[in-house]
Amino acid sequence: MNMSFREKSIWISLISTLLIFGNYFLNVISLGGLPQEAAKVAALGLSLRAIFLIIIVEIIFQGMLVVSNRKAAEFGADERDKLFTYKGNNFGYTVLAIGVFISLGWSVLLEINPEFIAQFNLLKVPLMTAHILLFSFIFSEVVRFSAQLYYYRRCD
Amino acid sequence: MTTLPIKNKIRELRFFAEEMTQQELAELVGVTRQTIMAIEKCKYSPTLEMAFKIAEVFGQSIDEVFQYQSA
Repeated sequence: MNMSFREKSIWISLISTLLIFGNYFLNVISLGGLPQEAAKVAALGLSLRAIFLIIIVEIIFQGMLVVSNRKAAEFGADERDKLFTYKGNNFGYTVLAIGVFISLGWSVLLEINPEFIAQFNLLKVPLMTAHILLFSFIFSEVVRFSAQLYYYRRCD
Repeated sequence: MTTLPIKNKIRELRFFAEEMTQQELAELVGVTRQTIMAIEKCKYSPTLEMAFKIAEVFGQSIDEVFQYQSA
């Protein structure tokens, strides 16, 4: 497989995002049964751990990529890279916008009918609005990376 | 994989330019080797500016390097 520096960098971001935040969201869902206060602390801890991990993993792996491809890293993005970034951003933005509207709808729903959440055990996750927003952001990133990789692979 | 309607003679021109490599051409026009490869295979259509730069490297006019073939 013949990959450019930018494509390799996107693969690293996609895989690390999927692994770290995939694990994070699985853990968040399992908080549903815990008492509210304990679950809030646990959810906050999980968020901080995931954010810390993604920063560390990205620094290490992107750093290794730069060291092994110094010339390509210094060259930066060419017109094809910029075009694929732009196309990927379009897809990512659409997903993010949908997520923001879902979280808005969620907040309004809870304001109008606070009893709604009591009917569904799975939804009794503390800081649910924050999780929906975070999930939307992460999912939009995954879509953005995937779209870019799709264009790179189609072009190869 | 679908190819785009803009065809080119870059591979042939590279051969006659003392067998210039894709990497050498990429460095001359300021793109990655993968982009030159994609252009050669007609999987990516370069911008007009890039097409002019490539033609300039070979000392040809743009229509001698790139041809539009409608379906």
